[in-house]
Amino acid sequence: MGKDTLEIAINGLKLVLIFLMMVQAVPILVWLERRGSAFIQNRFGPNRVGPLGLLQLLADAVKFLTKEDFYPRTAVKTLFYLAPVFALIPATLAFCAIPMSTPIQVAAFDAFGSSWGPYVFKIQGFDISVGIVYILGMSSLAAYTILMAGWGSGSKYSLLGALRASAQTISYELALGLSIVGVILLYGTFDLTSMIQAQEGALHFQMMGQTVTSQFLPNWGFFYQPLGAVLFFAATFAESNRLPFDLAEGEAELVAGFHTEYGGFKMLMFFIGEYGHMMVASGLFAAFYLGGYALPIPSWNPAAVLHWSTELLGSKESGSVLAAIIHFLSFNIKFGLLLWIFIWVRWTLPRFRYDQLMDLGWKTMLPWSLANAMITAVGVYLASVAMV
Amino acid sequence: MADVIVFWFLALVTVGSGLAVVLLPNPIYCALCLAMTMVGVSALFVTLGAYFIAGVQLIVYAGAVLVLFTMVLMLFDLKSETNAFSRGVITGAIKVACAGVLSGLIAGAIVMTLGQRSSVVSPLAEKSAIDSTKALGKLLFQENVFAFEALGVLLLVIAVGTVSLARSKGGTHAKH
Amino acid sequence: MPLGGIIFLALFILAFGVFLIFLARKIGGRKPGPAVKFEAYECGITGVAKKDTKISVKFYLTAILFILFDIEIIFMYPWAVTYRDFIASGQGAFVLSAMFIFLAVFIFGLFWEIKSRALEWD
Repeated sequence: MGKDTLEIAINGLKLVLIFLMMVQAVPILVWLERRGSAFIQNRFGPNRVGPLGLLQLLADAVKFLTKEDFYPRTAVKTLFYLAPVFALIPATLAFCAIPMSTPIQVAAFDAFGSSWGPYVFKIQGFDISVGIVYILGMSSLAAYTILMAGWGSGSKYSLLGALRASAQTISYELALGLSIVGVILLYGTFDLTSMIQAQEGALHFQMMGQTVTSQFLPNWGFFYQPLGAVLFFAATFAESNRLPFDLAEGEAELVAGFHTEYGGFKMLMFFIGEYGHMMVASGLFAAFYLGGYALPIPSWNPAAVLHWSTELLGSKESGSVLAAIIHFLSFNIKFGLLLWIFIWVRWTLPRFRYDQLMDLGWKTMLPWSLANAMITAVGVYLASVAMV
Repeated sequence: MADVIVFWFLALVTVGSGLAVVLLPNPIYCALCLAMTMVGVSALFVTLGAYFIAGVQLIVYAGAVLVLFTMVLMLFDLKSETNAFSRGVITGAIKVACAGVLSGLIAGAIVMTLGQRSSVVSPLAEKSAIDSTKALGKLLFQENVFAFEALGVLLLVIAVGTVSLARSKGGTHAKH
Repeated sequence: MPLGGIIFLALFILAFGVFLIFLARKIGGRKPGPAVKFEAYECGITGVAKKDTKISVKFYLTAILFILFDIEIIFMYPWAVTYRDFIASGQGAFVLSAMFIFLAVFIFGLFWEIKSRALEWD
C-alpha cells in the first residue's frame, strides 16, 4: 500500500474515489443508454427533467430510495439482501487493477516536523503484476452474485434466470480466457502497464526480411490481434449479460431473470454491477488492443507528452500532473467510445435463442479463439526467428 | 506490521468460513462459505509469494468448481434434506470418528514439525510476481513436460466420462 | 501485491452497500398488504411452490465441461508468458510442439463433445 502513513492514506482514498467514480458513472451511462436508445429508435427519451433530461438521474435516485422495500415470502432474506451488495464487489475490484493514466510525481517536502516523500502515485487502484489473472479471477466470482440472487429470491423465474445466466457466463469465460492467451503471447507479460508500454510507437512488422514501419498508425495490439480483439469483445458482452446475450433476463420467458423480485435500490446495485462489468471490459479492451491511456499518434507517446508538459510548466512534478490529465482524458475517450458500442449494440441486435447462444459460445467462439492462440504462437515464433 | 494484520485477518476469514462449511445446516450456505474459504486460501497464497497459484485458486476453485457445487445444490429442494444426515447413533459415531482422525492428523503434523521450523523470512516475497510465474512455466514445460501432456489426456478422459454418464440410459434425464 | 488495499476496498464496498440497503429500507418502509402481495412473482396467478422445478442436466454438464476446459486454458497462461523466454534460449520449437500436442488433445476432446451432441441444447 505504501511506505508511510500519508502514502497509505492517499492510496486508500484513491481506491474509494475510483469506486465512487464507478458508481457515479452509472447514472450517466443509464442516461446515455436511454437517450441513445431513443435516438436509435427515433423517439425522444427522457427530456423533461432538466436540460436534455439530465436531471432525470437525480429524480431516479430519489425514486429508487423511496421505493417500498419488498422481499417475497419465500425469499431467503440473508442471501436476498446480500446478493446486490456482493454484485458491486467483483467488478470494482477488477476495475481497480486497470491503469488509467501515467503516474503523478510528488516532490519531497517537509511538514509536521518530518520530511515526506518523494512519492509516485499511480492513476490505478492496485498495481498488480499479474493483473490479467487477477482480473479474470475477480470477474469469475460474479457468478455467485447471480446464484445468490436467484436462489435467495425464492422465485421460479429468478432461479431459472440465475441458472441460465451462470451457465452462459461460464461458457463465455472460456472464449474470453483463450482470446487473452493471444494477448499474453504477444506481450509476454501479465502486467497491464507493461502491455500499454509495449504498444507505444509506430506500427512496425517484418515483411520479406525487412522492417516495415507505418508513418501514422500506432503500434496497437488491435493490428496484431484483430480476431482476438473481436472474440474478446463479443465474450465480454456475454460476461456482462448484455444484449444480444441477455438471455438471463429474456422478458418474454423469464420476466426479468435473477432480479425479478428486486426493486428500488437493490435493483440499482445490480445495475451498478452490470455496468461495472462493462467498464472492466472496456478498460481491458483499451489496455489490450487500443494502447491504453496513450495518445493515438505514434510520436506523441507518454514519454514525449511528459517531456512536453515538463518543458511547458517548468517542473517535473507539475509536468507529470498535466501529462496524467492528458492521458486520463485519452483513456476516457477510448473508454467512452467502447461503452457507447456496448449501448449501440444493445439497441441494434436482437436477442439470441438459448441454444444459439450456447452453440455460439462452445462451437464457434471457443474453436476460433483456440485457432487465434495457435496462430499467434506460430506468428510470434516466426517473427522472433526472423529477427535473429 | 501491516503484513501481520493482513495475515491474521485472512487466517480468521479462511478458518472461520471453513468452520461454517462444517457447522451450518443449510448446504447452500456451506457451498458459499466454501467459496469464501477458497478466496481466503487464494489470498494466503499471495502472502506466500505464489501469485499465479493464487490466481489459479481463484479462477478454478472459487470461480469454477464451487460455482458448479452451488449450481447443483440449487437444483434440489434442500429444505427436506437439511436434517437427513444429522440424526442417528451411527451417524454420530462416524462424525466423532472423523473429527478424531482429523484432529489427530493435525496434532501429529504440528508435533512432528515442532522442532524443525525453518528460518523466519518475510513471506511477502522479494521475488516479483512475474518471475515466480515464469519459474513455474519453466518447471512445467522443461522438466515436467510429460506430466503436462499426461494431464491433458487425463482431462480428456474426465470429459468423456462425464458426457457418457450424463447420457447413460435409465436415469431420470435419459434420452430416448 | 497490494493485498491490504484489496481487502480494504472489499470491506469498504460491503459496508457501503449494506448501509445503502439499510437506508433504503428505512426510507422506503414496508407497508402491510394482503398475503398475496408478499408472494413471489407468478404472472398474476397464485404461486406454485418451487419444489416441482426440474432442471435439465445440461446445466450440470456444461459446468463440468467448463471446469475441464478452464483448467486446460489456465495451463496456457504460464506457457504464454514464458514463451518468449523459451524462444530466446532456443527452446521455442520444443515448447511450441509440447503445447500443440496438449492442444491436439484439447481439440480432440472439444470435437468429440460436439460430435457426441453433449453440447446440444434442445
